[in-house]
Order: sequence, then structure tokens, then C-alpha cells
Amino acid sequence: MFRILLLLCLSLPALASEERAREIIDKMEQLYRGGSSDATMTMQVQTPNYNRTLTLAAQSFGKDYGFFRIQAPKKDRGIATLKRNEEMWNYFPKINKVIKVPPSMMMGSWMGSDFTNDDLVKETQLIDAYSLALIETVDQYKVTLTPKEQTVTVWDRIEYTISKDPLLPLSQAFFDDDGKKIRELTFHEPKEYYGKLMPSILEMRPLNKEGHLTRIKYDDIKFNVPEITKDTFSLRNLKSRF
Amino acid sequence: MLTFQIAFRNILRQKRRSLLTGLSMTGGYMLFVLGYSILEGSYGNAIDIFTLDNSGHIQIHQDDYLDRPKIYKTIQNRDQVEVALTDDSDVKSFTPRVFSPALAYAGDRTAPSRLIGVDPDLEPTVSRLLQKVSKGTYFSSLPNTDGYYEAMIGRGLHITLKLEVGDEIVLISSGGDGSIANDIFVVSAIIGNKTSFDRMAVYLPLAAAQEFLSLGNDVHEYVLLVNNKDDNEKIANELSAQLPELTVSPWQKVEATFYRTMQADRQGNYFTMGLIIFIVFIGVLNTVLMSVLERTREFGVLRAIGSRPMQLVRMISLETFVMAFISVLVGFLLILPIIYWSAEVGFLLPEPIDMGGIKFQHLKGEMSARVFWIPMAFILATAVLISIPPGLRAARILPKEAMGSH
Repeated sequence: MFRILLLLCLSLPALASEERAREIIDKMEQLYRGGSSDATMTMQVQTPNYNRTLTLAAQSFGKDYGFFRIQAPKKDRGIATLKRNEEMWNYFPKINKVIKVPPSMMMGSWMGSDFTNDDLVKETQLIDAYSLALIETVDQYKVTLTPKEQTVTVWDRIEYTISKDPLLPLSQAFFDDDGKKIRELTFHEPKEYYGKLMPSILEMRPLNKEGHLTRIKYDDIKFNVPEITKDTFSLRNLKSRF
Repeated sequence: MLTFQIAFRNILRQKRRSLLTGLSMTGGYMLFVLGYSILEGSYGNAIDIFTLDNSGHIQIHQDDYLDRPKIYKTIQNRDQVEVALTDDSDVKSFTPRVFSPALAYAGDRTAPSRLIGVDPDLEPTVSRLLQKVSKGTYFSSLPNTDGYYEAMIGRGLHITLKLEVGDEIVLISSGGDGSIANDIFVVSAIIGNKTSFDRMAVYLPLAAAQEFLSLGNDVHEYVLLVNNKDDNEKIANELSAQLPELTVSPWQKVEATFYRTMQADRQGNYFTMGLIIFIVFIGVLNTVLMSVLERTREFGVLRAIGSRPMQLVRMISLETFVMAFISVLVGFLLILPIIYWSAEVGFLLPEPIDMGGIKFQHLKGEMSARVFWIPMAFILATAVLISIPPGLRAARILPKEAMGSH
């Protein structure tokens, strides 16, 4: 009896910490999403061989629906990505074609950036697919996410660093099976968008590819937009909403 | 001169034996020349097939594009390259190209393909692309009235995608700036056959391919033909010095696997030919040894009247050499018309060889100086070499014992 009690006592803080971590991560995930969101962003892709700047319109609804459309440069204008649950499609207006992104391409680059297709689809499901462990310091939370047994992922763990005040994400580090840090997503320059404070710049840096960097800057983001409903994210809209 | 006379007289002493030995050397020489000529001829043919079909004699790339092709490894200073190539009198013709893998769509069908952007006007001066059009018409560099550029597709794509001339083909690839290249083209021709190296290729006019891949005015490759294809490695080195920031590769490097296989095969064939000569010369050695043995008394006399041992060796070597020389000369006269015929007409193959849509009906030999003189030098050298042991034997003879023998 005593043993069981002891076990309970010992495991309670652990459970509490997992619960707390879940809460924090969920808040972070909510930050960029709200119930629904409508954003304009600028994506800069830097590589040793080329630099490229894209202007994107992005909409989301809950955690399962996402929609991105390139607005500039002219050559790529209209190219769009639709994400529904765990499925993803790209649309190319020039050839009037919708192409489903196959599972094998999920780790492929999204629109030539350092973000993968998988980042767009699954990133939002951290709390469902990973076990969480929280370490608290004076001004930061450090959450280590390890994939659950049934989760299919290439990451061995993700280290998520969050500042306490204001409660904002600072960085995410992605580690491979050998425990090597493969890439790092950092958050910069918090700005207030319609009363909501959030980092305005995201930088994805693959550490195995020198000189590569993708920077996303939120030019504008609105939350809980009534026009955005589930119906916004249909294949028909992917082809016609432009 | 005296030694020469004696040697000549000795050959004529045993006319029948000399004739038979000579004939075996003549036959050996002719076999050697014919084998060598066919070997070199068929390699020359094979080399022509792929250099003229695709790879050219020399290729120019940026960095290690040849081994690790990446879309952004482009040649940017095109003017400088073109000036250097135009000024070089050894260069016959050249053409720029761009490449990229691409996904090809037609209706619901998809196929992986290889996009090759070529200059419609310059390409036919370097490769056989124009001759390989099997259906439709060769493309032009300008878009059609609807604003679509023309594309020529390989036979494999034609079959897989069920595309006909005039149909639309959709290509998706990644551009040089990381963008997703996507566009529609109209099929103007079908190229080659099912076995062509470019059966899954889509040829686009250079400007269309550059625009599609967001490459600006850059290209991935310059391909050139030289006036004398045997000089291509030398010319490649000269061009490399002129264009230090680029990589200039002769076809031996571009088609390294083929080249290595060819070299290995060549060595195997040389060994076989060496073996033929070896067998011929065992017979010759026997003849020479015989003639030395039966002239033991003579050599004794020669030694007794004051011939130096070296003179005897020289005499025997000269005998063999003269005999070999006459045999080779006869062989040369006999084989010359045959080689000429094999180079001009060639052996008719029971079934023509199809190389990427171009048919070869005849197996042709090579007609060049080396085809004749290399076997000649080899046989003469061997003749002298094998006459040395019998010569030494004659030289070591002691006059007293020799004159006493029968």
C-alpha cells in the first residue's frame, strides 16, 4: 500500500508537468492560428545559389485546414497549397492542375523553401503526436517533445523553448536519430496584431545545409475572420478562388 | 654489306623452307592487321555513334556539373566561352544546352522525363537530333500562334503518355531559383525509337527551357565537335587553359564507363593478337634453330677464318629480319586492298545494329597508317628478338668441335 502511495506521489508531479507542457504548447500553437486566421506574409529563401522573395496569402481554420497562395512574383502568382487534415494539394494555375502531394514528398521542400510540406501539415499536431517533458527556468520553459510510439516522424526529439513573459515561442530545435541537431526554427521581433502579441518573424535554418535560411515575416494577420469557414478549404476553391 | 649478302644467300639456300616460314609470317601479319583494323574501326564507329548522337567530342560545364548535376551550376559568362570557341580553328561546331529532370503529364498519365533545352539552329551542327525526328516536324525557337512553345518528345514518352504530334504536354520541375517550374508545351515531333538514350526526353527550344527553369540566359553545357576527333583530348586541354573557371571534358571523361570498358576490351584483343604472333614465331624460331644446327660446320669454318662471334649473331639476326621484312611487305601488299574495302564498304551485318534510332548496316574497319605499321614493327621486332638465342648458340661454337661434327 505504501509503495503504491509512493509511486503515486512520485508520478503526480510528472503528470502535472506533462499537463502543464501540453497547455503551454497548445497556447503557442493557438498563437498563429486562433479559431481562424487570415494573413499576408513575405517569405525570403536564402541559399548560396539564389535568393528568392515570395509574398503569400495564408488562411487557416482550426488546426486541420490551411490555405496558401503565392501573390508575387508574377511568374509564380496564383500557385496555391491546400491542406486538409493530413492531406495536401498544390495548384498550378498556368497548367491548371491540382497535384496531390504524395506521402513520399512530405519531407520535400515546400515551394523551394527550408520548410517541408510536412511542416505545414503536421506541425500543428505536436500535442497529439508527441510526449512532452517540461523543464522550467527563471524566465523560460523548455519542453522536450519525443514522438509517441505510433507517430511516424523523422525527428528523434524536438526541443521547444518558450519565454515566460511575454509567453511567446523562442525557438524549436529538431534532432535526428543520432541526437544531432538538424535544423532550428527561431522566432523574432514580437509585434502586436489587432491586440495579439506574437513574433512577427520566423526563421528556419537547416544546420546540415550551410548558407540556407528561410525567413517568414508576417506583414499582417487577422484572427477569427467570419468569412473563413470549413468550406473555404475545398478543392474547388483551390482552383477557382483567385 | 657483305653480311647482308651472305644473309640473303642463306635465305635462298633452302627456298621451300624459307617460303613456308615466310608465308606463316605473312599470314600472321595479315591477321594482325585485319584484327587491329576491325577492332579500331568498330571502336571508331561506336565512338562516332554516341559522340555524334549526343555527347559531342568535348563538353564544357561549370564546376563538377558532369558528376553532380545541380540546376544552379550554370555557365554564366557565355560570351567569353562562345568567343573562345569561335576563335579556335580546331573547333568545328558548338551548341549550348540546359538540362533538368521534369515530371511530364498528358491527360491523367504521368511519367518522369528528362528535359533537354537545345538551340534549334545550332544543335543540328553538333548532334543528329534533326535526323532523329521520326514523326512530325523539327521544332522552331519561337512560340506558336497561341503562345505555346514547341517540344519534341522521345519515343518512350510518346508511348507512355499516349502523346501524338500536336498534343499538349505539361511539365513540372524545379527552377533554378527554387521556384516550381510548370508550363504547357505543344508536341511538334517524336524523336528516335524505344532504345534511344533520349526515349524519355523532352526537347525544348533553349529560350523556352531557360524561361521555364528561371535560368535567365545561363546554360549548363556547351557541346562541341572538333575537326579531328583523335585530337580531342589535346584540344580539350588547350580550351581548359583558355577557360580556367570552367571544366572542359573530352568524351573520354564524359563517357568514362564506356571508355574504360573499351580500353579493357582493347587490351584483351591485343593479348589475343599477341598470342597469334607468338604461335607464328614458335614456328619461325624452330626454322632458325634448324638452319643454325645444320650449318654448324660452316660456322666452325667461319670462326676458324676469323669471324667474330658478334658477326655470327648479326648475320643470323639479319637473315631472320630480312625474311620477316619480305614477308611483311608481301602481307602489306595483299592486305592493303582488303583493309581499303573494309574501311570503305565494310562487312555486311546479317542484322543492322540500331543505335538510338540510327541504323548501322556494315561493320567497318579502320584505314590508317597505324593499322599497318604497328603490326609491322611488332613482327620485325619479334623476329630480331627470337633470332638472338640461335645466334648466340652459333657464336659459342668452338671451331675445332664444329668442324668435326656432321
